[in-house]
Amino acid sequence: MLKRTLVANRGEIACRILRACREAGIEGVAIHAANDAGTLFTELADFAVELTGEGLSETYLNQEQILQIAIDNGCDSIHPGFGFLSERADFAQAVMDAGLIWVGPSPEAITKMGDKMTARITMKQAGVPVIPGEEVSGGLEEVLEVAPSVGYPLLLKATAGGGGKGMRAVHRQEDLESEAKAAMREALNAFGDDRIYIERLLTGSRHIEIQVLADKYGRTIHLGERECSIQRRHQKVFEESPSVALDSELREAMGEAACAAAMAVDYEGAGTVEFLVTPTGEFFFLEMNTRIQVEHPVTEMVAGVDLVREQLRIAGGEAMSCGPLNMRGHAIEVRLYAEDPANNFLPAIGELKRFIAPTGPGVRLDTGVRQGDSVTPDYDPMLAKLIVWAPSRTEALQRMGRALDEFVVLGCTTNVRFLRELCNHPDVIDGWTTTDMIERLWPDGWSPDMDSVVSDAGLLIAAACESTNHGRITTSMGGDAAMPSLFSTINRRLP
Amino acid sequence: MEFKTSEGRMEIEVVRDGSSFIHEGMVVHTGQELWLEIDGRKHKAVATKIGDVWWVHAMGHTLQFEVIESGASSSDDDGGLSAPMPGKILEVHVSEGQVVSAGDVLMVMEAMKMEHKIVAGSDGVIEAIYYSAGDQVSQGAELLSIGE
Repeated sequence: MLKRTLVANRGEIACRILRACREAGIEGVAIHAANDAGTLFTELADFAVELTGEGLSETYLNQEQILQIAIDNGCDSIHPGFGFLSERADFAQAVMDAGLIWVGPSPEAITKMGDKMTARITMKQAGVPVIPGEEVSGGLEEVLEVAPSVGYPLLLKATAGGGGKGMRAVHRQEDLESEAKAAMREALNAFGDDRIYIERLLTGSRHIEIQVLADKYGRTIHLGERECSIQRRHQKVFEESPSVALDSELREAMGEAACAAAMAVDYEGAGTVEFLVTPTGEFFFLEMNTRIQVEHPVTEMVAGVDLVREQLRIAGGEAMSCGPLNMRGHAIEVRLYAEDPANNFLPAIGELKRFIAPTGPGVRLDTGVRQGDSVTPDYDPMLAKLIVWAPSRTEALQRMGRALDEFVVLGCTTNVRFLRELCNHPDVIDGWTTTDMIERLWPDGWSPDMDSVVSDAGLLIAAACESTNHGRITTSMGGDAAMPSLFSTINRRLP
Repeated sequence: MEFKTSEGRMEIEVVRDGSSFIHEGMVVHTGQELWLEIDGRKHKAVATKIGDVWWVHAMGHTLQFEVIESGASSSDDDGGLSAPMPGKILEVHVSEGQVVSAGDVLMVMEAMKMEHKIVAGSDGVIEAIYYSAGDQVSQGAELLSIGE
């Protein structure tokens, strides 16, 4: 069993892991950059150590410094969370070489799955179906040469990548060169590696992933699927389990393929095998994420499994505690981003002057922020994940709608209203979710569907608040003494 | 009681009754808690003022209303194009004196690890370019200006 785990991450996922450590009786150690001092995750740790340096490469991506902190503070293990160093095989290796336990799969498994070309080849050999496409090892010239044989529309992806960076959809030959340049540049900036590969873009398909779990005792199981089709620029925004597109037969076939994929690389711990599922029910291996996923809570809710506890258990040398898969009810997760959906989803910043999260039955909030925190451009704009569980999909959508209506965030623009309208959209209600649906539903960008009653009500509230100095500390003279001009002018900002 | 709004000229006639404010069948009750009443149904509201802007959450919507001191004029959009986020300029696609049309890509910048295009909002001539490729810019920095 693990005794003291360093969590090499920040924000929401660091909170999630530190809480699991606390529940498991493991001491949790946080590391944080100077500009994260005093944030929620540093307080959930048994103790927190400040990283020296500025910027990601000197702090959360600084392997030597993080490992040294773990050693100096008597940690026996490191949990990388997701992002940052979670899929860095060299870091996993360094952790193991230092005599510590890496909470995750072996460096060999990370390497094989992290390089998309190697992953494709490994999966082909294991009999897992892959998307028709071409691996490109040369530069731009080879991209231009190979693309026509794959056919349009096609997708350019960073070989070393993930998270939508370095990924570009190309619909016409004439856009290929500029898009390829942009993809290679983004890939180089994000991953230090500008290799890309080309595959056919399967339009109208669904993005469905299978959660797998494997322990040291030869047991590899799947925990059902997560439907993650609703994406914007390849960033997921809405995830659910189970998927309306899967019957028990297809679920079993995909589950078996996912387990085969994991076993092909001697996988250990929690991992996710992503598939594209075509409208005809064919499925193709996309990639394997060799870490805990952002959207893991939906699986936890329907499968009744604590995935992070299982990770800690497996890393500590115990057998997993899961029984046979028994999926119950329906779970949905949405990602609350600090961004302005009405302005082409540009990232937003600001102070969270009010941050009032919804509560009630079946509602779970995974977040690393709280009221009073500032949203800065230094880190990922995801503020929180809101997860609901209900006995049926219909009720889960209703519950999510209610919860999003309750969610108050003032001081920083978010996508909360966009998410709310998504839950109300007939295509979402019908379950016709595809990876291109946001572009399909809002080709000219999204703007809030607002009744004039709401904007009038908002204006009335603002006017009332302005004239009573609402929420301000008033003097003993009371609100009226501070009353401003009766002819104040109020400028309307939308949304 | 009257409140005026510029930009869309929203105007609202408000009748005040103690701590309640009334407008065409809508009532806002102020006090420790904010309540909005429409057609007899009550909705909880939350509002806070940040700088000159009232942020209001009501009926699942978040709205912003800026208070402008009387006498001041609003001076947004005067042809300048500013950085939407702090970031780095990657490409400059135009030069000074160049004629551009609305929708043309003028610059490409990187912010939060994603590329964003700076697009001309109207037809015009590039009057000045304030940054070149590789420059770091802060949020709101004027990148270039377009004239007639």
